[in-house]
Amino acid sequence: MEQKKLIDEVEALRESFDSTTSQIIKDLRRQEKIMVRSDQRQQREYDELQLQLDEIKRLNKEIEDTQREVLLTVGGIGETRSKETFNHVRRVAEYSKLLALKMGMGIEEANLLKDASPMHDIGKVGIPDSILNKPGKLTEAEFEVMKHHALLGYEMFNKSERPLLKAAAIIAYEHHEKYDGSGYPRGLVGEEIHIYGRITSIADVFDALGSKRCYKEAWSDPEVFSLLREQSGSHFDPKLVDIFFDCNAEFLAIREAYKDE
Amino acid sequence: MLEKLFVAPSKCTPQIDFDPESRILAVEGSSYPENTFVFYAPMMEWVKAYFGQESEQKTIVNLEIIYFNSSSSKLLFDFFDALEEASSSHDIEINWIFDARNEVAMEAGEDFTEDFSHLNINLVEKQ
Ligand SMILES: [Fe+2]
Ligand SMILES: [Fe+2]
Repeated sequence: MEQKKLIDEVEALRESFDSTTSQIIKDLRRQEKIMVRSDQRQQREYDELQLQLDEIKRLNKEIEDTQREVLLTVGGIGETRSKETFNHVRRVAEYSKLLALKMGMGIEEANLLKDASPMHDIGKVGIPDSILNKPGKLTEAEFEVMKHHALLGYEMFNKSERPLLKAAAIIAYEHHEKYDGSGYPRGLVGEEIHIYGRITSIADVFDALGSKRCYKEAWSDPEVFSLLREQSGSHFDPKLVDIFFDCNAEFLAIREAYKDE
Repeated sequence: MLEKLFVAPSKCTPQIDFDPESRILAVEGSSYPENTFVFYAPMMEWVKAYFGQESEQKTIVNLEIIYFNSSSSKLLFDFFDALEEASSSHDIEINWIFDARNEVAMEAGEDFTEDFSHLNINLVEKQ
């Protein structure tokens, strides 16, 4: 009798053990299935994300390239109005970036300056041809009109919220200011002149002097260099003139890479 | 009488709309709650109580889950377990609704029909 009871108990134990075991097995299989599915899905999602990311990168680059090209073209309009070449704005852009980097600006800001500096003369679109293209020297009254291009350029971009166009506004406004306060339109002195203005000023003048124009021959390098030295502290920020001579080879390499045809 | 269970949807949790009167239990939306088991605890309890009551009438379960994480997937299995247990004494029809482009949801539906062969599960493909 005792024996029978014991057997029943063990039987019951076995049954409960069986059902628990099969429950565990079922759970394990299920876990496994969930994991496999989830891995498959993760992989799919990851692949999809990568594709989308590549596409976003591509679009971003496209936007940036377009923007850069538009700015160069627009900057070029200002320059061609005054018979500058298209490569002039490219070189000014590169010189400006180089100066910015050498004086310790971060790469992003240096690139901003590079993209904005071609706009320095955009205000010339608002100056009459008769003055812009006058072969001889301008009269005082004509020169006053000519000076106006700085303010015109500033007003074009100043209202924009875009950092790039804000920078372009500053550059247009201040690229004819001189370190000793004798520049225009406001006669700012020293570091009152925004660093973007100081940089673009030396980049622009260096390039203009060394280039041949219909009204003048290109200056020789020694002539250009001695003017820059001479004007250190008067026209130009002396720190920038120093950088120019310290890294002279790099400036000349840019000039070579973007030389006029 | 058991009260209606309604949980409004959020970005990472589905809408839960369980109505004891119409006998339609619907879950719809995405499911990746911060704590899946805590989120679904009221639903699981409700289901237990609901099937604890006897009824001759049919219950319809509409599941349209667009996106779910792995713990939600585990929870769905538990939910189907509960339905399977209830199905011996209740008439239950389940609609697993998915978008034709949603491969993951479709595969999950296939998994459930495979694992719960005693349940009446329809795979409903939306266009
Ligand atoms: Fe200018
Ligand atoms: Fe210029």
